[in-house]
Formats: sequence, structure tokens, C-alpha cells
Amino acid sequence: MSSTRDVVGTGDELDPGYYSDPPLLVLASLASGPKHGHAMIEDIERLCGTRLGPGALYGAIARLEQQGWIKPLPAEERRHPYRITPDGLKVLRAKLTRLHEFSKAGLKRLEAR
Amino acid sequence: MNRRLAHLLTRMYPGRWRERYGEEFEDFLLTGRGDVKTWIDVVRAAVSEHIHPSLSTCESGGAMSEYRTSFGTVVRQPSALIPLGMAVAALAVVLGHIALYGVAREADEGAAAHIWQLLMAAQLPALLVFGIRWLPKAPKQAMGVLALLVAAILAAMAPVYLLHL
Repeated sequence: MSSTRDVVGTGDELDPGYYSDPPLLVLASLASGPKHGHAMIEDIERLCGTRLGPGALYGAIARLEQQGWIKPLPAEERRHPYRITPDGLKVLRAKLTRLHEFSKAGLKRLEAR
Repeated sequence: MNRRLAHLLTRMYPGRWRERYGEEFEDFLLTGRGDVKTWIDVVRAAVSEHIHPSLSTCESGGAMSEYRTSFGTVVRQPSALIPLGMAVAALAVVLGHIALYGVAREADEGAAAHIWQLLMAAQLPALLVFGIRWLPKAPKQAMGVLALLVAAILAAMAPVYLLHL
């Protein structure tokens, strides 16, 4: 899971840009309940400001489904919702914990300056 | 996005990906934005899917998944079925000959002997093709199939040598 792909810069030095790790973003979105593609895109945008394109979204969905971390639910009016699996929740928790530790360590270094 | 463009963009993905996600992805594109940024995103994802297929690790090509390369899958490959069929046919020829003419050794080789020889000789290149094709992809399963093929060949040879036909 890359966290550097699709990071969009704005030219503004103070702008942190967008966080982009599509599989992690999809898992985080599905952690609050099953969603279909458009709902995931909206939710992810609200969550971290990143708007995934259809290609990035379905690339992540395909990989996560193959890994057994998400599962499709029966289609609803041509919409295809997905849910996170227990393994997906474990992976999400582990990744977010690692990110949290990284974030804490990074901020601690900044405070020391 | 219009239907034609959505269909065209979906067609850029590999066949296996389209089998699983094509319809759903096309629907998704139809109900979403159709701007240039979206086209670029989809084209880039489709190219990436060709280079690093998300379904490959479990379903095809590349790393060839464990479930695809089960013994049953490998043994059903033509490169395994053909030599296996030849060995079974050679055994059937010998057994048929014994049933019809008994085990007495003939002075001149008859048609059955020639057919048996041809079937046995033709198995060698077939075995070679199977080994080259499947040993690197699924060594464990291919070794199992090779053992089966060798057993079938020995079974076809056994009556000839044991009964001195």
C-alpha cells in the first residue's frame, strides 16, 4: 500500500497536500459501515480531503477484495456496496496504529526544536 | 459520463478484471463525473492493472495462485492429458492384443506392436513439453503429475517386458 501515490501538490508551501493511500482510505471508509463506490468517494473526501478517482478507487477495491479484507454485498439498484471483513479491520487497526506512532514521533521531534 | 466513453474506458482494463468488475465499473463511471481528470485516472489505473494485475496473485498469470495450480488443474492440462492418454492407449493395445491372440511371441511385429511403439515414443516429447511448461510454474503439482505419467508409462510397458511379447 503506497502512501505517496496520487499526492497532489498545490504549489502552496504550507498546504500539506492530500493524503493518498487508496486501499487504506477505502478500509477507513468502510470501517463505519458498508458503502458503495460513490459513497466511499464522498466519505473519503470528508475524512481527509482526498477525492479518489474511479480508477484509483476500483484499483484499491480489487486488491482489497483479493486480499480478503473487504467483501461485496448484493447489488442495490445497480450500486455495489462493500463491507470490511474482520481481517480488514485488523489490518486497518494495525496500519492506523503504526501511522499514529509515526505521527506522534514526528510531532515530538518538532516540539523539541 | 456518457455510455460510450464509459464503455471505452472500461474496455481498457484486462479481460479478467472486466469479468469481475467491468459491469459494475461501467455503471459507476456512467453515474460519475466525466471530466478529463477522471479519464486520466481511469487510463492510468487500467495501464497499471495490465502491468500489476490485482487479480493475478490469486487468479491468473504472474504468480499463479495456489488454487489454480492444484494437482487437479495441472493434470487436466492438455500437456498432461495427452501423454497420459497415450500411455493408457498403449496399455489398452497390449491388453487387447493379449486378449485376442494370447501371450505367444510372434516372429514378426504386427500392427499392434507398431502402434504401441509409436504411442510410447510420442510420449517422450509430450512429457518434455509438460515438464518445461509446468515445473517452473507449479513444481509440486507438476512432480505429482509426472509421477502419475511415469506410472502410466511403466504400466503400459510392464506386460510387454514381463510377458516377453
